[in-house]
Amino acid sequence: MSPSLLNSLLMLPALVLLAIVFAWPLLDSAWLSSQASSVLTGLSPIANDGANWQRLLGDARFWQDAAVTLRFAAVSVGLELLLGLAMALVLHRPGRGRGWLRALALLPWALPTTVLALGWRWIYNDPYGPLNAILRAFGAPPYGFLTTPATTWLFTVLADVWKTTPFVALLLLAGLQSIPAELEENLVLEGARPGQILRRLTLPLLKPWISLAVLFRLAQALGVFDLVQVLTRGGPAGSTESLALYAYLNAMRFLDFGYSATVVIATFLLLVLLTAIGWLLLVRRPLEASR
Amino acid sequence: MIEAMPVITTNPAAGLRIEGLSRHIGGRSLLSDLNLQVAPGECLALLGPSGCGKTTTLRLLAGLDAASAGRILLDGDDISRLSAGDRRVAMVFQSYALYPHLSVADNLALGLRIRGMGAREREERIAAVLELLQLSELRLRRPAQLSGGQRQRVALARALLRQPRLVLLDEPMSNLDAQLREELRPELRRLLCGGEQPVVYVTHDQQEAMGMADRIAVLRDGHLQQVGSARELYERPANRFVAAFLGRPAINLLPPEAGRQLGLRPEHLQPVASGGIPARLQRREWWGNQQLLWLESARGDLRLLVAADLELPEDLQLGWRPDHELWFDSHSGERLAGP
Amino acid sequence: MRSLLLLWSLAPLAWQLYTSLVTPEALVNGSGVAAGSFWTLENYRQVWLADPPIWRYLLNSAVVGGATTALTLTLAVPCAYGLQRQGGRLRWAVTLALLATAIFPTVLLFLALLQLARALGLANNLLALSLPYAALCLPLAVLLLRAAFAELPAELEDAARLEGLNLPRRLRHVLLPLLAPSLASTAILVFLFSWNEYPIALTWISRPELLTLPPAIARIAGSSLFTVPYGAFAAATVLGSLPLLLIVLIFQRSIVSGLTQGAIKG
Repeated sequence: MSPSLLNSLLMLPALVLLAIVFAWPLLDSAWLSSQASSVLTGLSPIANDGANWQRLLGDARFWQDAAVTLRFAAVSVGLELLLGLAMALVLHRPGRGRGWLRALALLPWALPTTVLALGWRWIYNDPYGPLNAILRAFGAPPYGFLTTPATTWLFTVLADVWKTTPFVALLLLAGLQSIPAELEENLVLEGARPGQILRRLTLPLLKPWISLAVLFRLAQALGVFDLVQVLTRGGPAGSTESLALYAYLNAMRFLDFGYSATVVIATFLLLVLLTAIGWLLLVRRPLEASR
Repeated sequence: MIEAMPVITTNPAAGLRIEGLSRHIGGRSLLSDLNLQVAPGECLALLGPSGCGKTTTLRLLAGLDAASAGRILLDGDDISRLSAGDRRVAMVFQSYALYPHLSVADNLALGLRIRGMGAREREERIAAVLELLQLSELRLRRPAQLSGGQRQRVALARALLRQPRLVLLDEPMSNLDAQLREELRPELRRLLCGGEQPVVYVTHDQQEAMGMADRIAVLRDGHLQQVGSARELYERPANRFVAAFLGRPAINLLPPEAGRQLGLRPEHLQPVASGGIPARLQRREWWGNQQLLWLESARGDLRLLVAADLELPEDLQLGWRPDHELWFDSHSGERLAGP
Repeated sequence: MRSLLLLWSLAPLAWQLYTSLVTPEALVNGSGVAAGSFWTLENYRQVWLADPPIWRYLLNSAVVGGATTALTLTLAVPCAYGLQRQGGRLRWAVTLALLATAIFPTVLLFLALLQLARALGLANNLLALSLPYAALCLPLAVLLLRAAFAELPAELEDAARLEGLNLPRRLRHVLLPLLAPSLASTAILVFLFSWNEYPIALTWISRPELLTLPPAIARIAGSSLFTVPYGAFAAATVLGSLPLLLIVLIFQRSIVSGLTQGAIKG
């Protein structure tokens, strides 16, 4: 048997399972988005000439959810990057108990999102949660963290940032570890201050890891589901409803599978578009500039 | 090309015979049409710069890579189609390739266990080979707990243990320091050579090749340049490449004249009273037992190797014996019979 | 800096622990409560004796996690080996596909996977849940293990081939023992993923006694948005986090190094 054939055979089972679980659902949902399949059709698909897509174009709730999702992703990923970099720098510094520090810093990322979302719901509780207790201590009136439509999204962002920053930090930590210490030591000998080292050496060399973290987090944030479903259920007044949650509600609550599939595929296309733009800006352009 | 005959044995088919061995990858030729014979008990060194095809040859012999063409005969059997595990070929790797998770004894045992050898016989053979290599004390250590020299001995033990039909060594000394290398050469020869199996030894170090091997095959860009004893290669190199590759300090190659080029070894040049090439001393490297002189002359820069205590003036004349002249065709590089 | 980081990471968790250990009066009135009626284990008693009890969810999650980890490694090891040995365009294409699927937000698959589960009768089956889970973990697992295979010196495997070990034996006797640290960290990451996965568990499992922890917690939380018994919830979250807390603290070194090494080498 030729080595190439053997290698392919070894990869085959894993690739088949990946195709079933990733490729087939996308194709199936794409097809379903062209069908009417809801309680009205007895849940069996009937071709409906793109009616789902026409409905989507005029669906104010879809467009509002798209805006909510984009806003959430942009702000979350931006904050996670800044905080993640700071966290990675702290975790990279040598010192006693660094392993434990890394493990403890990683905890929020390792625990189930739904569990943590429930925890945050209690922290945000009006009027008994700890945040309101702090407000009370300063003599301020209690604040409806999860009931004020204008600001609730910010607190979903905070919970998400808290939960996923450790992951970004871990990726950037990998990047920091790949930078030879001699490079930094040489800059120190040349009289560079810490800020200059960060700007002239660390950040440029971290760029591939920053790009990877942004692409990964962007894709995940655009599909945000667990957090909002448990923390706010999309409320108040739909102000935190994400596209994934809308797709879920269409299927599981309104039992409109055709339209749910349409929302899924629209979200997927948005995701591909944005990650492609991110790829071009973050990975491709620097690659060409470096040639 | 000078093809020296191998040591004569009673059975002409005995030993290793390589016929037209080649390996190409994606239009690149790593080894072209190699023909060689190695007699039982003979140690042949494959010598050449990096990328010359010597490690490629070794991996083809071991069956780790597939040949594009050619045959490998071992005692008359064509082993070209056998898998690496079925060839009964042992190899000592450059990194020694000891299994880091196993003790010395378990490193040796793994191959035997796979072959289904009983525990009793296994233990006996391992104990014997450990004894032979003076490793008995270290049998329970992990590779990481051994010195470089000890690791090499374990790798040797693993190779010998299998009673192979052919022993291959891939730069087995390159991870050792210079002094240890010199000390180990006679030991390695004693253990490996003169037995029943042919030994092929890859190195880029000519001193090692000369010290270890009965014959040396010089390779360049996948082509065999010459094979013969160290002395044959040194005194009658087939071409300019072999002449320049063997011998340190390197041979002086004078500027070509009329399509031919004269080569003179640094130790063959000597100061003469008159009638030689006028030269001027530029620099001197004093090596303790010898000294290397760098000279400038009308025939280009020359290197001269002389006794350490020889005092020479700044300006001198250089001569040589005619039978030390090595003439080359300046285009093909082939050695010519005379001027 | 370090204490600030710890405060940020641990304060919300500490608050959960505190909440789970005090009486409702203490939560509402703070320090104004008499010492005797401040601390309590009542919350834990409540979730432990609930119907179904919390340990049932933990057990379900552990079963799914174990099955997923075993299945993922069984598929990922040969795949990673083949990918590492493979050259040229196929390797490039497979790596790219793995990267793309690794960053893909899995929630977008729930609808079609739900239909698949119904068509094949896999709904409400804990072990069946490990099929999609293994697929979702495979990209990361293969990428990490491929990087680990790349780390091993090629001469080691050559030596084993010369000794006549075939591929399964080379894997068992030489390669996998050396990969043990990477296998462990990959296994832990897969287990973490499986323990935490929500949307697919939510749609595949509807029988209460088969729920894994995340949908179980969300279901309790969903019973009401404003009048939830937080003490009991906090106790549930603490118990649900405890296994992972132990895993992360025990295997901290291999998790961190596994992820960072994989990222560097991949």
